[in-house]
Amino acid sequence: MNKFSVDLTNCDKEPIHIPGKIQSHGFLIAVDISTYNISYISENALHFLNFSSKDLLDKPLAVVNNLIKTQAVEFDIEDLLKLGIIRRSFDAISPYPIEINERPFYLIISRSQNEWLLEFEPVTLQYDIQSSIGRSASAMLQGRTVATLLKGAAAEVKKLINYDRIMIYKFLDDGHGEVVAEEKEADLEPFFGLHYPASDIPKQARELYKLNLNRLIADVNTEDSPIITFKENQPLDLTNAGLRAVSPIHIQYLKNMGVHSSFSISLISRGELWGLIACHNYSPKFIDYKAREGSKLIGQILSSALEYRQNEEDSEIVKQFKDTAGILAEHLSRDKYLVDALTGHKKNILDVTKATGVALIFENELHTIGSVPSNDEINALAEWLGSSNDESVYYTHRLSEIFHPAKKYKDIASGILSCSLSKELNEMIIWFKPEQISTVKWAGNPDKPVTPSENGLLSLSPRKSFEIWSQVVSNTSEKWLPEEITSVLRIREIIITDVNKKANEIRLLNEKLQAAYEELDTFSYTISHDLRTPLTSIKTYAELMLKNKSIDEHGKKMLGRILTGADKMNFLIKEILNLARVGRSEINLETVDMQSLLKEIIAEVWTAYKADKVELVLGRLPDLKGDKTLIGQVFTNLLTNSVKYSSMVDKPKIEVSAYIDAGEIIYYVKDNGIGIDNRYYDRVFELFKRMDNVKDIDGTGVGLAIVKRVVEKHHGRVWFESKLNAGSTFYLAFKNK
Amino acid sequence: MKTPDIFYVEDDIDYAFFMQSAVQEVKDTLNLTIVEDGTEALVRLQNFAESKTKPKLILLDLNLPGLSGLDLLKFIKEIPYLKTIPVILFSTSDNPDDVKAAIEFGANAYLTKPNGYDNLVKCVHSVHDFWFNHHLRLN
Repeated sequence: MNKFSVDLTNCDKEPIHIPGKIQSHGFLIAVDISTYNISYISENALHFLNFSSKDLLDKPLAVVNNLIKTQAVEFDIEDLLKLGIIRRSFDAISPYPIEINERPFYLIISRSQNEWLLEFEPVTLQYDIQSSIGRSASAMLQGRTVATLLKGAAAEVKKLINYDRIMIYKFLDDGHGEVVAEEKEADLEPFFGLHYPASDIPKQARELYKLNLNRLIADVNTEDSPIITFKENQPLDLTNAGLRAVSPIHIQYLKNMGVHSSFSISLISRGELWGLIACHNYSPKFIDYKAREGSKLIGQILSSALEYRQNEEDSEIVKQFKDTAGILAEHLSRDKYLVDALTGHKKNILDVTKATGVALIFENELHTIGSVPSNDEINALAEWLGSSNDESVYYTHRLSEIFHPAKKYKDIASGILSCSLSKELNEMIIWFKPEQISTVKWAGNPDKPVTPSENGLLSLSPRKSFEIWSQVVSNTSEKWLPEEITSVLRIREIIITDVNKKANEIRLLNEKLQAAYEELDTFSYTISHDLRTPLTSIKTYAELMLKNKSIDEHGKKMLGRILTGADKMNFLIKEILNLARVGRSEINLETVDMQSLLKEIIAEVWTAYKADKVELVLGRLPDLKGDKTLIGQVFTNLLTNSVKYSSMVDKPKIEVSAYIDAGEIIYYVKDNGIGIDNRYYDRVFELFKRMDNVKDIDGTGVGLAIVKRVVEKHHGRVWFESKLNAGSTFYLAFKNK
Repeated sequence: MKTPDIFYVEDDIDYAFFMQSAVQEVKDTLNLTIVEDGTEALVRLQNFAESKTKPKLILLDLNLPGLSGLDLLKFIKEIPYLKTIPVILFSTSDNPDDVKAAIEFGANAYLTKPNGYDNLVKCVHSVHDFWFNHHLRLN
């Protein structure tokens, strides 16, 4: 016998498949699978067979043959059972029509663990229901959408079994149910749209709904009939028995709703219990086996139609997302800039999901489309996302409950779906969904399925009140669909591939540029070298001719001009050669004694430009790590410039000094000369660029280009400050290592 | 053929012309023979060895078509009769690697070609003063 007693701690463990009782509108005989002897029998068999149930126990099944009648002349119930065993199925046998005491009955055979279950129930349907089931199925399938399909199904089931109320009940993600379609008698209060807490249908009951596709509770007020047996402590498993008695808790639940009869049909989609067609009658009402089977068939047709329609609706969404991804991929390959490709067209990253806003954070810039929080809020959110999770995709539909600052903008972004593009740079895309304040109407307060009993202990009792109880759900957006997440992952892959491709293109371009630069250096070197020889010839011939006594003054003057031109050209070539050398030569790092190097250079420059009247101020001159020859060239050029461009000032003054700042040694060369127009700031270091105000001073426009190249080769920086007619200061920053 | 005082190998006819002028200006009795390419120079050097006549000074341009100045230098220093003749490498290059190679092969001096005629004359003057000082001559 079933000794299980239900209380609060084990409420969802109640072994409802072994109640030890059956509903009393039929009776049950169980036969041992090896001996074919009767091992269990319901007590109420007496009322149907007029034969003591107890006396049938442990007797061969064949004794029943005398108590029932069939159409067949030589009927043997044991042969019927064996036939099903050989066929491995009772589908073609059940329901088997028989007569007991002149009344028609159906025999339904199924398997328990060690027994065959033989259930007998009265036949009540007088006509063949088969044809109306076909009509019902086709009428139901007219529904194009999931909603109309459900509505149609409810209507057809009502016609078939004629119950007062037919509801289609859908299980939602957290296990609670919602009435999504309803057909009812006009005088009844509607349940459509109501939610039922998950505890109304416990877990193990849902498992049984997956096994038994329909379930009849014929009358909640009749007393169940106990099953008797000689087997101690071996309750009969009634999982497959249609007559299985109902949990007292469920009976009480139905009674509290005023329901007398209940019938349910399982709806299975993708292997899971999608929902139920729940039918209530407010007076006792038995449903004939064949009508139940017909309803079951309607349920199965509805299940597969649901799956198909749902797939159809899902695949429509998937198709749209895929199309968007395709279009974006095309934009990416055609557009120069990633941001333009993703946000600048009619189809953009907002269409990758069903979000209402999107933010793209790329290369330190924020771009948004649609309804989004403020830039500061998005940046703070992005920072939080970057620091708090390592996944490439993160999503929630209750953001403000996890990230509290989001409370301020929950109306815009209660749901976010983010995908990271670069972890290091915290580049990402975030999609937003607004808060959806939904009102859930519960059939009674879902938090109170338990009530304290008189002794103060909590005890399980089904809800007594089904008064509508409303609950407002806030801080929550519509959920992110798996299709949206797949779509985001798809677009992420496309973007990352594109970014990598573009980075690769830039790298290749860089290599080409590098090669071109090197080639140019070699070219400059060769050309200047080769130019020098013929130039030397020109100069030398001119000198030789000057010695010729037959040439007059006029001729000598022209030869003089040739010599000047040749010298100028020679100097220019030398400078270009120097510049090319900076590019070609490897720098030779050593500690350069700046004190002595600068003294050498100053002596040289002062002699060359006869700069005796220049006042020279030398400050701190710390040693530098660098290539002595190249650094010498830099200071020669800078000091030459200072001397040249301050030569026309009354009291020329040149200062050379250095200071240390944040790991850099910064040298500066300052003069009080003619200065540089700041408008030309960017052009000062360009090759062959000379400013308007120095036209009268000799120069090649190569010197500062060399300076810049040398400093950059040392991974240093060069810049200047200048004021027209007040002077210039050139700064050189070298790494202090 | 008269044995030259100075045997000069130079492919640049302009420079050869300047050298001719400069030598004459320094001392017009000096006999200068100029050969324009390495192969011809090689033949002449072999002739010197066979006829046991040798110039007082050899000037070699570094960059010559075919045989280079360094090749000729190597050749000279391998022939016992010629190897005592002072050889000066004469080039536009001031690349330290060229200088180093020339000295390693046994050059007696390395001169960078002066810029301009006046400088050339000065250069020839010093060369003459140094290498044609009769008291110090080896042969």
